[in-house]
Amino acid sequence: MTGALVLLCVIVLVLINVPIAVSLGIAAVVAMLATQGTAALPNVPLTLYQGATSFPLIAIPLFILAGAIMNTSGISQKLMDFCTALLGWMKGALAQVNVVTSMFFAEISGSAVADIAATGPIIIPAMKARGYPGPFTAAVTSSTASLAIIIPPSIPMILYAVMAGASVVQLFVAGVVPGLLAGFTMMGLCHWYAVRKGWPVEEVFQWGKLWRAFKDSAWALLLPIIILGGIFGGIVTATEGAALAVLAALFVGGVIYRDLSWARLQQAIIEGTVQTGSVMLLVAASALLGLYLTEAQLPQTIAQTMISLTSEKWAVLAILNVFFLVIGMFLHSAAAIILVVPIVMPAVTAVGIDPVHFGVIVTLNLAIGQQTPPVASVLMLTCSIAKESVWDVTRANIPFIVVLVATLLLVTYVPVTTLGLVELFYR
Amino acid sequence: MLAAFRRRYERLLEWIAIVLMAALAVEVTAGVVFRYSGYSLVWYDEVATILLAWVTFYGSALAVLKHGHMGVPEIVRMFPARLRVAATVVAQLCTVAFYALLAWTGYAVLEILASDTLVSLPAVSVAYAQSVIPVSAVLIIVAQVLVFPEVLDEARRGRIEKAEELI
Repeated sequence: MTGALVLLCVIVLVLINVPIAVSLGIAAVVAMLATQGTAALPNVPLTLYQGATSFPLIAIPLFILAGAIMNTSGISQKLMDFCTALLGWMKGALAQVNVVTSMFFAEISGSAVADIAATGPIIIPAMKARGYPGPFTAAVTSSTASLAIIIPPSIPMILYAVMAGASVVQLFVAGVVPGLLAGFTMMGLCHWYAVRKGWPVEEVFQWGKLWRAFKDSAWALLLPIIILGGIFGGIVTATEGAALAVLAALFVGGVIYRDLSWARLQQAIIEGTVQTGSVMLLVAASALLGLYLTEAQLPQTIAQTMISLTSEKWAVLAILNVFFLVIGMFLHSAAAIILVVPIVMPAVTAVGIDPVHFGVIVTLNLAIGQQTPPVASVLMLTCSIAKESVWDVTRANIPFIVVLVATLLLVTYVPVTTLGLVELFYR
Repeated sequence: MLAAFRRRYERLLEWIAIVLMAALAVEVTAGVVFRYSGYSLVWYDEVATILLAWVTFYGSALAVLKHGHMGVPEIVRMFPARLRVAATVVAQLCTVAFYALLAWTGYAVLEILASDTLVSLPAVSVAYAQSVIPVSAVLIIVAQVLVFPEVLDEARRGRIEKAEELI
């Protein structure tokens, strides 16, 4: 009875545009009052506070901040110059540069939006000026940006790890192969288009030129080695790796490239804090609702119901995939993880799905969700930078979405693609 | 007058954000440096998580002014004008009511917590760390009131903003 009331409360409040975090909070308070009366009210501030104090989550504001600083620090231009020297000889070179720059950037930022904001305003006008069709340009920029949340570091993976009680580092490692695989397949797709449509080469390949570009961008290229090397090598935790990323971004942007001003830094910090406040408030509010859910054993009930329908791993995975794909169309990825993961986790572990494996599946689903309207944050941002219509870009984006879906199916049903490296190094 | 106050208020919250975020980044970095130089800071984890909570709740107040909180405006956008305005007013009232409850209960528990101290810093009361809840709840209510005219205007014109995604 209370369960239905709580669910109704969340749905009605969300639908009249009460912020999702506040909707969860109100529903939790209603549940507390209904089951325990006013005596339970002191738990509201205590649990909300507790919900926002988890050490691994500190990585989120720090990675957001690092991304915001890198955006304003000239790193993306250097990366792009290096990629042009490396791949300029290929047909459709700028499309390839777009994909590979995104893949590089993915290794220093954990957010697809940061990736778009960093590379989009530079590569999109450049591609359009060279005669690439606008919708294709936006589509390739948008879908490769979502690689940022699959290739480590990844903010959605950190959120998932905390919600599911999995290891952040193992998730990061599990994302490497699927992320690279999707990236290389997208390069292949661009090449196929380029050959068919006769898109231009940028420059002839010269070792001397590549070496000069490498020297110019060496600091930017060093960033992933510092950040990921530190985390994977066990020298620092993921959280400390995020602090290292901030420091490295400040050093490279402020001292080496000298593109970072105090005004821009302020703006980066303010943006980072607003985004942190919004995501983390949702995390805290979900802890509050979690109090009630745990007591009512709701996730366990869902798990039992699901297992009574089917205990076949592949079928449960199929159901969850469809569920997350649909959710991804309507919710922001952070919200989807925070709302859904705690509820489905008991069912996932009950049928014997590895939490790290499932984490990569969830992340891939949300990467697809970022590309599928109506709620498709990354696609929308790209369209506004490219000044293209969402509809045209979505049509051009379908082949890239197919690549992401194929990667998702591979990851779902051939677990070794994600768990192989994890088993090799961490188990 | 109101616009000038809103600007100043926003600037104040921005400065709180800058100070807290810088403190968080510096503290975590310092923790690593000290650990590798053989002098681990015992209070490093605990203080870092407190800073995270502060960034979260003070950042939330700033996010209200910047229309940064995630919501689902798509349904309300489809409503006819009057219903749109009514729904928006109800949504705002619900939000303010929640934070008012939080400010009140958050303040009430501070008294209970006054005698508890941090695990790693026995000289510091937990109440200081937890004061963020009632203080930020009040800051959020003020921010909600300040943006109310903008939100209402958006609802009238049917151009309700959606917060941008972050990751």
